[in-house]
Amino acid sequence: MKILLAEDTKDLNNALTAVLKHEGYTVDPTFDGQEAVDRIDVDSYDCIILDVMMPKKDGIEVLHILREKNILTPVLMLTAKSEIEDRVVGLDAGADDYLTKPFAIKELLARVRALTRRKTDYGTKELSYKDISLKSESLELSSENTVRLSIKEFELMQNLILNKERYVDVIHLKERVWDNAPEVKTDTVYLYISYLKRKLRAVASDVTIEGNADTGFRLA
Amino acid sequence: MNNSIYGDKLEALKKTETELSESISDIRKEMCARIGMDPVEHYLTRIKSETSMREKCRRKGLPETQESALGIIKDAVGARIVCAFVDDVYAIKDQLKVSGKFQVVEEKDYISHAKPNGYRSYHMILKTTDGIFAEIQLRTISMDTWAALEHHLKYKKQVGDKNELIVNELKRCADELASTDLSMQTIRDMIFENSKSLNEKRKQ
Repeated sequence: MKILLAEDTKDLNNALTAVLKHEGYTVDPTFDGQEAVDRIDVDSYDCIILDVMMPKKDGIEVLHILREKNILTPVLMLTAKSEIEDRVVGLDAGADDYLTKPFAIKELLARVRALTRRKTDYGTKELSYKDISLKSESLELSSENTVRLSIKEFELMQNLILNKERYVDVIHLKERVWDNAPEVKTDTVYLYISYLKRKLRAVASDVTIEGNADTGFRLA
Repeated sequence: MNNSIYGDKLEALKKTETELSESISDIRKEMCARIGMDPVEHYLTRIKSETSMREKCRRKGLPETQESALGIIKDAVGARIVCAFVDDVYAIKDQLKVSGKFQVVEEKDYISHAKPNGYRSYHMILKTTDGIFAEIQLRTISMDTWAALEHHLKYKKQVGDKNELIVNELKRCADELASTDLSMQTIRDMIFENSKSLNEKRKQ
């Protein structure tokens, strides 16, 4: 796991580099924005930590260059407490998370871990609930029979299984399954719930989905 | 015709074939009027050829007699009804059962209980008042496509280590097609639901 660190305060840079290395990451420390851009051009990383206030190029500029180049590596921004505007601009420019200085090293490490957890890494390869099982590698929903789900159906089913019998509301589903894509409406969620209801019946499962757009949905 | 394995029953088989066709046609007309959509995509009947029937008798270790061909083997007359949507398969099956023209001898729902290789279809053995058996296979276009393509590949069966891969992949294709079938059905339900509520609003 390789991390690019861009932080102009020498002491903090050295300390972070040491801690991250201690955690088993490979770290490339850089001390200004231009140096960071140069590193990004020749190397690829699993996570990039960017200080906002840096000489030559600030963190926001670096982030813009990165995203313009279609580099989708997760970025954690480090901002001073007063820089609310920076945080907003940073997140809008494509940062994945931010941390306000001063911060606890423990929290930084936790955020780096969260950012480097791949979205496709669902943790468990197989989820089960009552008489159904859901396999993440093959997108198979099985009970007596098996059907192959589409990726969105799979993610929806996964969310429902992970929440067991708790209602999951539509807003949450739009966010978790569709990343809040603007074309996704409540009707979309409803249609995908209908797909799953039918497919549950088709695999001859006793599990059903209950609820509506107001209450949210849950497995029963 | 004296040598036919069907003996003097060939005319009776043809009559059964016609009766089946007529029943299916009636059901189609009735459903067309009711839902505004022909539930049957295509439909075919056949009488098992002399050669195939004799071959089947041999395969099953039966004497090549009329009794084997018409009493033990029950698919001398066969019909395949291919529907657009999954629900239509069940609707037509129900209509055939209530038509009163045939006695249902056997039913196998390989849609709710897919075969291990992924094959899906609804099978019924019917018996006419003349005592002639007919086998009906009902399925959707996707299920029919899969069955047809899988049949083609059977002739090219691989020996050795690739066989398991091929079997697994064919099963995967069947499960994907089944999933798509259900999505299409759900979309149709939504469209029907939508136009129903629009009509209700217009009436108000």
